[in-house]
Amino acid sequence: MHILIVEDDEVGRDYLANALREVGHTVDVAGDGLAGLHMASSIAVDLAIVDRMLPKLDGLALVQSLRATGRKFPVLILSALGDVDDRITGLRAGGDDYLTKPYHMSELLARVDALARRGESGNAETTTKLKLADLELDRMTRRVTRNGKKIELTAREFQLLEFMMRHSGQVVTRTMLLEGVWDYHFDPQTNVIDVHISRLRQAIDKDFDKPLLHTVRGAGYSLREDE
Amino acid sequence: MGAGRRRVASPDQRIIGLLDTSPFRIAIVYSLVFACGAAALLGVIDFAVSRVVDRSTDNLIEAEVQGLREEVLVLSRSEFIELIEQRSQDQDVRGAVYLMVDPQLRPVAGNVPAWPSIDRDEGKWIQFKVSVPFGDETRVHEMRARRFPLPDGYRMLVGHDIQERQDVKHLMMRVLIAAVVSTLLLGLGGGIWMGRRILAQAGAISAVATQIMRGDLSQRLPVRNADDEINTLAREINGMLDKIEQLTLGMRTVLDSAAHDLRTPLNRLQSAAEGAMSQLAPASAERRVLERVSTEVDHMRGTLDALLRIALAETGTVARESVDLSELVASMVELYAPVSEERGIKLESTVAPGAQVQGSRQLLAQALANLLDNAIKFTPDGGHIRVQLKAGGGGPEVVVEDDGPGIPADKREIVLGRRVRLDEARKFPGSGLGLSLVAAVTKLHGARLVLDDAGPGLRVSLRF
Repeated sequence: MHILIVEDDEVGRDYLANALREVGHTVDVAGDGLAGLHMASSIAVDLAIVDRMLPKLDGLALVQSLRATGRKFPVLILSALGDVDDRITGLRAGGDDYLTKPYHMSELLARVDALARRGESGNAETTTKLKLADLELDRMTRRVTRNGKKIELTAREFQLLEFMMRHSGQVVTRTMLLEGVWDYHFDPQTNVIDVHISRLRQAIDKDFDKPLLHTVRGAGYSLREDE
Repeated sequence: MGAGRRRVASPDQRIIGLLDTSPFRIAIVYSLVFACGAAALLGVIDFAVSRVVDRSTDNLIEAEVQGLREEVLVLSRSEFIELIEQRSQDQDVRGAVYLMVDPQLRPVAGNVPAWPSIDRDEGKWIQFKVSVPFGDETRVHEMRARRFPLPDGYRMLVGHDIQERQDVKHLMMRVLIAAVVSTLLLGLGGGIWMGRRILAQAGAISAVATQIMRGDLSQRLPVRNADDEINTLAREINGMLDKIEQLTLGMRTVLDSAAHDLRTPLNRLQSAAEGAMSQLAPASAERRVLERVSTEVDHMRGTLDALLRIALAETGTVARESVDLSELVASMVELYAPVSEERGIKLESTVAPGAQVQGSRQLLAQALANLLDNAIKFTPDGGHIRVQLKAGGGGPEVVVEDDGPGIPADKREIVLGRRVRLDEARKFPGSGLGLSLVAAVTKLHGARLVLDDAGPGLRVSLRF
């Protein structure tokens, strides 16, 4: 995938570019907003990572100009500002996701991955039936079965599983879950998400040979069929 | 707070509100004073005029009586009758009335048809009514007259038509009443108009003030192109708001720069540590050091986030929306239920439905999360935590109670300040900013935070 990084902090940008290249992406970098806008318009970009505070052209203004000129590729906004309201302003300007510095590379990679796949399967949100191996989830009837056997889930567990299934095969971080399932944007001090996941795991994996819900060390969780 | 507390004025209340405005009261007092003044003035004029006119009429009659009394001594009866007849028809003496009657009260001469029935008898002076021709019709006119005896039992009556005088008096009385009434009405109307103006201005000011309190510092009080007290005051308050906005924006800029200057190097540090770690063997000593670095960066980030959020909440410039507090509390309890269950802690909750507050959902969630984090941290395994949302009349109240060690009464004030960790709490992880953030968020929402003894344990109450 072709990723454009617009970031003025050289050190951070290099680490980020290297990490993205390591996982197989093609990376272009720009050091200020105008250069970023120029590159985004002249090369085929699949995804952009844009810092919020940039010289020459502010990150939010850059995203707005991109959206105004019809460029629809996903944009992840990086921010070193306060937070709370900044996130909303960032998304309102046309960003698809928002990440505050300092971030873990695993968190950033997971979000980039999620954004990229969202671009691929644009209609995943509207599909009523989700399926992974022998696990099936029907959003209409709110019924979950594995190998044809009905699995009882609480409303929240259902939402959690739905989120995981929509991101099946990807790494989903704890913060992504807290944001995506609960709509909260903070780091709880206690491992609240882990316990929710372990309950879900109990429900969907306990009585079956092949586990589907995996822990990705240092990153989060992944729902996938193990080879 | 917010919409819940704003009074919605019913028509009755609006009228009472109008009666309460100072211009209305002033107008009423002024119009009462003016009305009394007008009444007094007209009363004095009426009194003076009637005295002068009465006196002159009376003098006229007096003189005529005197003249006739002298004439009767020198004239014969027939001459006297002729004189009376002559005077009665004299057009120059308009309104003069004469009547001479014989001892049986039968008219002998004069322009009054019969000896009158007397309305008012003041002894010397009498007043009576007589029908007089007035063009084609006749009118009843009031007369004032004097009586005196003539020789041989004849009697004489000399008087004057005072109808015109009475008419003027009545007219003046009516004008007086009309003046008083219209002064009162005008005063009332003016008072209502001024009162409404003031109420409208005050309403606009209080609406703006509410928005400013909600964090929208760009709002200004409406100013009219006039130099009255309210406009002058509004201009001065606007000047003050400019200053406050400037200071707050300055504070936000400082916060943003501080955030930027701290987050950027932390991010480099984190990226460097993680980048290096990926090159190292999983259990190597170097990797363990870098893992430590990464963990410390996480802690620093946690502290920085908390400090920034506290500072942000304290500037009061956080965007506000309508937050469903019932949903929020229920979902936070639901989020923390499994983790407390793991510890064998019973997390009970009673949540009243439909509680709404104006504020920041994320900051409120963070505050609740901090309270629940704390409660779970300090409650011994197998303990209890109780979360309540009460929807009282004064506003919703969130209560979190645990049966942990609690906070000694003398230290409850201190823990709400920045970075206070009681010695007893040092063995627990955390930045020590949890309750400070709760305090800042509570203040931002205009709520009251009370720490209390749950006997045993800590009881935290947020009353909105």
